[in-house]
This record gives sequence, C-alpha cells and structure tokens, in this order.
Amino acid sequence: MMNRHDWRARVARALALLAVPALALAATSAARAADTLNAYSIWPENWARPMFEEFEKATGVKVNFVRFSSGEALARVIAEKNNPRVDVLFGGPVETFAAGIAEGVFEPYKSPSFARLPARMKQADGQWTAIADDPLVFMTNDKFVKEHGLKAPASWDDLLNPAYKDSLQMADARTSGTAVTRIFSILEVNGRDENKAFAYMKKLRPNVQLYTKSGGGGTLPVGLGQAGGGIFFIVDALDTKAKGYEVTISFPKEGIGTAGEGIALIKGAKNPELGKKLIDWATSPAMQSNFAKYKINFVPAHPDVALEPSLAAILKDVKLFPIDADYAGANRKRIVDRWIAEVLNP
Amino acid sequence: MASKASAGARAAGAGLARDPALAVTVVLLWAGLALFVVYPLAMLFARIVVDQGHVSLAGLGGILTDRHQVRAFGNSLLLGALVGLIGTVVGFAFAFVAARGRLPLWLVATIDASVLLPLISPPFTTAIAMIFSFGPRGLVTYGLLGVKGFSVYGLWSTLLSEALTYFPIAYLTLRPILAAIDSNVEGMARSLGASRWRVFRTVTLPLAIPGIANAFLLLFAASLADFATPLILAGNAFPVLPTQAYLQITGMFDLRGGAALSFALLVPALIVFVLQRYWVSRRQYVTVTGKGAGQTPFDSMTPGVRAALLAVCGGVTLLIVYFYALLLYASLVVALGANHAFTLAHYRTIFTDGAKAIRDTLTIAALATPLGGLYGIAVGYLVARKRFPGRRTMELVSMIDYALPGTIVGIAYLIAFNDPPLVLTGTALIIVACYVFRYGPTGIRATIALLAQIDPSLEEASRGLGAGSATTFRRVTLPLIAPAFFAGLGVVFIRSMTAISATIFLISIGWTLITVKILENITELSLGPAAAFSVFVVAIVFVVTGAIARAVRLFRAPGATQVASLLGG
Repeated sequence: MMNRHDWRARVARALALLAVPALALAATSAARAADTLNAYSIWPENWARPMFEEFEKATGVKVNFVRFSSGEALARVIAEKNNPRVDVLFGGPVETFAAGIAEGVFEPYKSPSFARLPARMKQADGQWTAIADDPLVFMTNDKFVKEHGLKAPASWDDLLNPAYKDSLQMADARTSGTAVTRIFSILEVNGRDENKAFAYMKKLRPNVQLYTKSGGGGTLPVGLGQAGGGIFFIVDALDTKAKGYEVTISFPKEGIGTAGEGIALIKGAKNPELGKKLIDWATSPAMQSNFAKYKINFVPAHPDVALEPSLAAILKDVKLFPIDADYAGANRKRIVDRWIAEVLNP
Repeated sequence: MASKASAGARAAGAGLARDPALAVTVVLLWAGLALFVVYPLAMLFARIVVDQGHVSLAGLGGILTDRHQVRAFGNSLLLGALVGLIGTVVGFAFAFVAARGRLPLWLVATIDASVLLPLISPPFTTAIAMIFSFGPRGLVTYGLLGVKGFSVYGLWSTLLSEALTYFPIAYLTLRPILAAIDSNVEGMARSLGASRWRVFRTVTLPLAIPGIANAFLLLFAASLADFATPLILAGNAFPVLPTQAYLQITGMFDLRGGAALSFALLVPALIVFVLQRYWVSRRQYVTVTGKGAGQTPFDSMTPGVRAALLAVCGGVTLLIVYFYALLLYASLVVALGANHAFTLAHYRTIFTDGAKAIRDTLTIAALATPLGGLYGIAVGYLVARKRFPGRRTMELVSMIDYALPGTIVGIAYLIAFNDPPLVLTGTALIIVACYVFRYGPTGIRATIALLAQIDPSLEEASRGLGAGSATTFRRVTLPLIAPAFFAGLGVVFIRSMTAISATIFLISIGWTLITVKILENITELSLGPAAAFSVFVVAIVFVVTGAIARAVRLFRAPGATQVASLLGG
C-alpha cells in the first residue's frame, strides 16, 4: 500500500534539516582567538565596553563579554560551576560577590594593588577585589518637588512626608544590591537597632509606589515625573541628570551608605592567566583613572586615583559610611527575609 | 494485511509496523522531545530534590505553603483566566469581522497589520507604553485628562497589557477556523428560515468551539508563563507566580525554591489542557468533505452588529496604533520626556554596537522557524490522525515547554546542557531548540483544531486509491492544514525575534539577542536605542509575515501541486 521511495525521501529531508543546526554549532565553537578572555559584566555595556577597549589597547588582550544584572550573572556562574564559560565576573556590588563565595565559584587571587586597598575594598582571601566605590543618593523630580511645595530631601525623615505618598521608587531587596545597601544604610543610621530601622521602613512603605527589580529601575520614572523621587546609586542618578531630565540629587544629614563594586576570577577558568591580567589592570589606577574620561561617576577604589573634581564637589561635606562587609554578609539573608515579610508583604 | 483495529481506528490510519514513514517520524519526534523537553526538566527536577547527595523535599514544602506564594498562585490563575477570556473574546471579534464581515480587502489588511503589532515586539514594550500613557504623569491620564497621582501598577494594567499582547494568538488561531467553516452550511440554515443570530449560535459558534477552546488554552498558558509584563506592571500589590519564581532564582539565588514555584504552575496548565481535550473530543466537528473554492462568504451580520463589532475592533486597533506610534516617536527623539529634538543617533547605535545582536537574532530565527513549523504540523497531524503507542503522552509532553514559564525552561536547559554528555551552552543550537519546542506547540494546537473540522474520509479515499501515508499527507492533508502550518510558522518566527524569558539564560559570549539588548537598554536608561531596536524588529517581522501571507495566497489559488513544490516535495 505504500510508496517506498516516498518515505526514504522523507527521512533524507528530516536528516538534512537536523544537519543545519549541527553545522551552526560547529561554526561557533571554531571561532576562538588566542589572546581572548571571556567575562560576564554586571556593569552596563556603555561603561564596560570602553573599559575593555582600553584594556585591549594596553595589553593586546581582547575581552569577550555579555552583560547581566547582578542576580542573573551570579545565577549563571553558579549554574555553570562544573564547566565555566567565563574567566572573570566584572563589576557589580560586592555583596553579590559575597553571595558567590558561599557557592565556591571564585578562585582567590591577589593583584599587585591588593595590599594598597583599604580592608572593605577586598575580601581577605582575595576571593574578590573592589574596582570602584558607589555611594547612594536621594534623587527627586524637580517639578514634583516644586508642585508639592517641598525642598529636596535632606534627612531620612523628609522622605516620610505624606506629600510623597505613593510617589517613591526604589529597588527590591530580592534582586538588587542597591536595595541591600539602602537597607544597611538605614540600619547604620539607627545604630544597627533592627527594630528601629524596620519601624522606619514600615513607615516609609506607604510612600513607596514601586520596588523595582534593578537598582536603577526607578531613575527613568523619577526623571519623567512618573515618580516623585527615590534612593539610587550616584552613577545612575548622575546619568539621569546627564540625559537632560530635571532632577536634583541630595543627601541625608544623618549619612548614607556606600558600596564597593567588585571583580573576581572564576574557579576553573579556561584562561586564568588572562583573567588575572584583567584583574591586575582593573584594580590598579590604569583602569580607574579612565572613569572621568568616559563620564562614569564611580568613586575610584584605589587610593592613588584622584576623584574627578565635579564628582568631588557633589560629595563634599556628605556624610558617607561604608557598609561593613562582615556584618552585612553575616546578616544579609536574615535582614532581607525580614524585609520581605514585614515591609514588602505586611 | 489483517487488521484488528476497530472501526474508529481504521479511519485513523495504519499501524506503526506497516508504515515505516510513520514509524521513523514518531521515533524522530520522540527523540527530540526526550532530549529537549524531558531531559532538561528531569535534570532540573533532580537539582531540586537532590540535596548534597540525598533525596530531600525539605524546604520545598515551606515555600509552597507560604501565604504570599499561595496568594501569588491565586493571582496567576485569576490573571490567566481573565487574559484567556478577554483575549479570546477580542480575538474572536477580530477573526469574525475579518472572515465574515465582507470587509473591503484593504481594511482586512489594515486590521491584520495592526493586530500583529503587539505580537511582534517584546511584551515589555507594551508595558512601557502603558506606563508612559497611564502613569502618574502619563500622556493620557495626566496630559490629556489631568488626573493626578493615578496608579498604573496592579491587576488591571497587567491584564490590559497582556490581553493586548496575546489576543492576536487567539485571532491567528480562530481566523483559519472561521474561514474554513463552509459558509454554504450557514447559508442553507439561513435560507431555511433561521435568523442570523440563530445561525451564529447553532451553526457558526459550535463549529468554532475547538478553535475557541484552543485560543483560551493558548492565552491562559501564555499569561501563566509571562513574567516580563507583571515584572513591570504588577507592582507590589499583585504578585504573580512566574515573577516570584524569577525573583527567587535571580534575586535570592534560590534555584530550588524558584523551580518548585514554577512546577506549581504546571498543575493548572495541565488541568486546563486535560479539560479542553476531554470536552473538545466529545463533540463532532466534521463539517466539510473538502473545502469548496469560490464560494461567496455568508452574510452573518446585520448592519448594526457589524457596526458594533467594527467599533470594538477599531477601538482596540487605535489603542495599539497609538502605543506603537509612541514607540516610533521615542526612537526618533534624543530623550523622551526631556529632549524632543529629532535625531537618528539611536538607529546609528543599533546598527553599529548592536550589529552582532541583529545578525545573531536573524540567524537563529532563520533556523528555528522552518524547524518549528514542521515540528508543529508533524506532531499535530500525528496526534490528530494517527494511532500509535504513546500518542496522548506525546501530545502532553509537547505542550510542557509551552506551559512552563520561560525562566524555568531556560534554567533547565542551562543545567542540562552545560555538562557532558551533551554540552550545548554557548551555541546557537540551544536557543534554536528552545524556540522550536517552546513555540512550536502553537502550530500543534492549530493543526489539531483544523483537522478536527476535516473529515478523515478524504484521507481514507486517498489511501484507498493506493497512495502511501506520506503521499496522502503531502498531497491531501498538507494543503488542508496549510493555514495552521503558516500560523505555526509565523508564531515561531515572531517569537524567535521577540522572546526573552527563557533565552535570556541561553545567550552567551557567542550568541546574543536583540530582545536582551532591549531589556539592557531599558535598564541602562537608554530608551532611544531600546525603541529603535523595537521598531527594527517590528519592521523585519512585518516583512517576513507579509511574505508568509503571500505564500498562503500562492497556495490557495493554483491548487495542491504547487503546495508540494513549495514545501520541497
């Protein structure tokens, strides 16, 4: 009843179709240059790209990279633990790196700059090293502030003003290092009295319109006036201002936290020597003196790099306190869980 | 060749043993399903229950009974049901107007084009347009209506955005079904004295039931799996499960908890699926013994009904057009909301910095589309028409990746294909496989629904006249299910250009995607390049789906011989 020629042709066609992706697979694995290293960047591409281009100019080593948010980058590194795809994890708040230590995904390495860095800018064993420092700021929409007869907030208590009801955006502690730094700032302001700090956060809750997934997620809404204000890292806030949005950056008189941005070598990296070369370069003034040139408003981590004058002017007289990595690391999970239970979902 | 098959099975076709073409196809499909659906999920499941070498369910119970997660679960069901309901109604209205409204051709083309818009851009593009328009300082709420402090986050905005994004799936599913209903049947009912409403209620609607059920299922599943829209619009008061699972994995680094939450989503998806199968299979849908050509469409509507339907469709179309005009505008100004000077800089950016993403995305789509289209009709045809062991199981397994949230599929692929024996991470193949098995099911559902309307006696006759099952499939069945094939093809291509939730985990140093770039641009505050990328995607997809539509027309006119040549037969 059946046509033999017909089904043979069918099988042949099916096999031919399967061959197409197989060829594509072969083509990708072939293209790998000798002096190329692979990295996941948590820094946005418009900051990471110029840094890596400078690195290639200085050393001849090309950096292949993809950008992910901190949570996604870490989830990937953990999932790829048995067969790492990259050599270096680049940028992103050091508390993300601290979470990676527990998973055993990093290879300790101390660059020549390691000894020169202050204690909070490195992990004691060299599991990660900081390449920049990033203070938090308050950012408010000028029109919103004027319409409600307010001034740019100068105290944590100013944010409790009912005029801000349903108008603030800030990051969600489940996904964002910015949020974790913010919560530890509030703890520091309250002398690490957790009950006092949580009482403040619960009072602030009605004024929060949205907890965003990423640290900078609220900057555009504030810039557009969809939200009245929020708490962000200074790089994101100054970027918003530079785009032309009418916003004001201010600081609380009680002080606000600042968090390091890290780099780490991946355990089992395929190109460990190239990875170390990048870490040597990124932790030294060689990279960090480029921040100003590319208008990246990070505070350099290396003590030998001078702060760019306009950034220095903004940060003048601001009370900043570093987040204690040991204290934050030991209490992070418990504090975030409490935040979810008491503040996010009361 | 003695057959012990029952009368029903005889109609369905031959057994595996005397049909090598069928056997080979079944084996190939099972191999694909085992490798790209079952294996990754099994690896993921193993990762969830095996804790430091011991099988353990401790900790999972905690996360599944947590009252916030239970609330999120309820919210997901509510949202999915509402999106399914509203999306199906809107999709049906559009399909009905297009198929039965006796509209001028240009109007049908306009509806077709604008209805496709939400499908061909990443879901969060609609979500962002929603915020721009309905937020506290939104163009509509504040700029037009002067409402202050309007809240955009929550159920209604998520619902509106998802319904608007997904109703085209219902339209694409229902239109070929409605077009396939022989209007002579309706015409006869009318000439026998039935009112138009009675004809609609007792003839048209019952014949469309399999399509409607399919549309609802597809929309429910799509909403259940969508995380991008709720991530942007649901806010903190309306948590849904896919978002919670995503946050659990990417934020809390809790792969096991996130995977457990995702598996919870599988339960409602399967229940709906089984209900629909049972319900649909109890009805008779054989209406045609072949589709006669050149008939005049039956005049289903009174002028009043037509005006009302046109008003509804027009309103929805207008909203869509407005959203996308906003997107185009955002791609052409320096910074939306701050500096509205005209610029082409964003397009320059995407064709220089973004050139690799564009190249990679197009390559992957070109590979995934034909494979996904073939996969869709192959499984759909086998399940609907053939008898072989494990048929129902194949149908069920083929739907799994569609029903699961993309996040979990992506993580499962990452875990399964990162280590030997099969290392695929970092290749294009892993992304292609993900698209084929995740979006091919649209073609499967469409094929099954369409075949439910076509009497098997047509194929029986072909076999009776001596044609093999492969020939029968190619010369008789294929032309009949061509609309479903192209619907499936279109959806796989569109999703290959626009999906993000699963593939964000599968992109690599070697292969990246436009959608990932768009999300990145949005987080980087670069709204201009994000909008420019979106406009580019819309343009490309329009061109390709237009070509597909042309191919469909090519098919219909000159008959079956050309059908075969077009598919390489």
